[in-house]
Amino acid sequence: MSEEEHVLELLIGPQHPASGHMRLVAKVDGDVVVSLRPDIGYVHRTVEKLAETKNYIQIIPLIERPPLADTANHNLGYVLALERLLGIEAPPRAQWLRTLLAEMTRIHSHFYGLGIHGIMLGSSTAFMWAFWDREIMIELAQRLTGARLTYSYMIPGGVRRDLPPGFEDEMDKALRYLERRIPDYHKIFFDNPVTRARLEGVGVLRREDAIRLGIVGPNLRASGVPYDVRKVDPYCAYPELDFNVVTREEGDSLARMMVRVGEIRESINMIRQILKKMPDGPILEERYLKMIPPKWKEWMAQHRRIKLPAALISLRPPKGEAVARVEAARGEAVYYIVSDGSPKPYRFRVVSPSIRNVVLFEHLIRNCRVADIPAIYGSLDYFPPEADR
Amino acid sequence: MVCGISGSMWLGDLERTARKAARWLVERTPIRSLRDWGIAFSLWPVHFTTACCGAEFAAASAPRFDAERFGFLPFVAPRQCNLMLIEGTLTKKMADAAIWVYEQMPEPKFVIAMGACAIDGGIFWNSYNIVRPKDILPVEVFIPGCPPRPEAVARAVIKLQKRIRRGEAIGLKV
Repeated sequence: MSEEEHVLELLIGPQHPASGHMRLVAKVDGDVVVSLRPDIGYVHRTVEKLAETKNYIQIIPLIERPPLADTANHNLGYVLALERLLGIEAPPRAQWLRTLLAEMTRIHSHFYGLGIHGIMLGSSTAFMWAFWDREIMIELAQRLTGARLTYSYMIPGGVRRDLPPGFEDEMDKALRYLERRIPDYHKIFFDNPVTRARLEGVGVLRREDAIRLGIVGPNLRASGVPYDVRKVDPYCAYPELDFNVVTREEGDSLARMMVRVGEIRESINMIRQILKKMPDGPILEERYLKMIPPKWKEWMAQHRRIKLPAALISLRPPKGEAVARVEAARGEAVYYIVSDGSPKPYRFRVVSPSIRNVVLFEHLIRNCRVADIPAIYGSLDYFPPEADR
Repeated sequence: MVCGISGSMWLGDLERTARKAARWLVERTPIRSLRDWGIAFSLWPVHFTTACCGAEFAAASAPRFDAERFGFLPFVAPRQCNLMLIEGTLTKKMADAAIWVYEQMPEPKFVIAMGACAIDGGIFWNSYNIVRPKDILPVEVFIPGCPPRPEAVARAVIKLQKRIRRGEAIGLKV
């Protein structure tokens, strides 16, 4: 037989348990994947173009939709860029509250990734456990912000709500529970011989390749590169927090998963520090606080939340451009705004972590078995809506 | 040629008659309500994530909300499923796949449109790349919200079950 007859083209997705919102075009020779090309764009919802038709404050809910499991970090990235454009800075307490929500989101986003990876490997237990533990952080975030996933919590100049009464105790209970829970995961999933056999040494990303391809986030750190925007270019309350950048040397699927587990542990420590060290004070920048009438100020003190000043709704930043980057749960997210002085941005650009990691499909899934496709895919924590925007 | 069972002008088409009789029988009240009761508690949604509402859909079938107690079991292949959830925005590229998957599902089949985007575009109403699901598929129940809470998904399933048992569902009439 000739070479062409050996190789079949296999289309995986978009309707497939291990494809998500994308199609994987795999060339297979028997059970060996010769090459794989991801066909993205199934969830391209034109966020960047739509942002040009909306007011600055309306863009906050818009950019939360693509990275749905990881909204707060992206919200923070956009708000930081906007604040740089406006030349304001949030008061210290707001900065700490932002960091708190960002870390809570990181925990439940990593649990989401773990659960999806579990179901891709056929381990329903991992899916069920991870999605249950994720609900704990979601419930607490709901008490803080009022929404399950799409918080729209950070606004230019501050945050929308203060800590609700009794939040510290509830959080303490939740963190102790999660810490007790992680050894259980080790017993049933991470150290399970099946999981080990499917993940160890599968999809190895070498350190130099990871740097050359511009990989970000836990996928990069699993290859031994200690790059984390929270350390490299600190924002909000991160300079005052004591935390480690979790890295692994192996660079295989298991390492990528274990980096996420390590980050959950680090986030738990960080939330403890945040609740201990959080300063008192206003949660909105003075410039906007002055615009609120005294009657509403009483209401704000009583309900521990702010009333949105009218000036924020038709925000007109000065001409110019601003860029901000944050470490979202899936990696580095970059937000870039060009303003022409009108209430709507002239150009808005998002570089999400998933679009920078999509190249890994082509790079890692080569000369491996067909069964390794979901094992590698799941370990990348790739979220197609975030990449397609 | 001796008269076979089918195509004979003297005996009539037995096979067709039998099929007609069976359909008539199934549409009678006791059997029909038994059938609709069975369909209502075995709604298996196909694994077809169209957009970000998929995260809340996954939460709906996870332990806290556990939609499986309504007979709502997410399953992998369209050939074994009778329910399709449009999870949020349907882009033009995804709409082709949606129709393709819907056509592969066996009848009777039902469609639930989840999220504001699936009703009329939601926050992406003026995007150049979206399709309204109601234009291309017979939607039974719409779930408002952006994203809808998992409880809302469960409520939609209950609503669909009621529609099926009352015989109102569009999917039953095809």
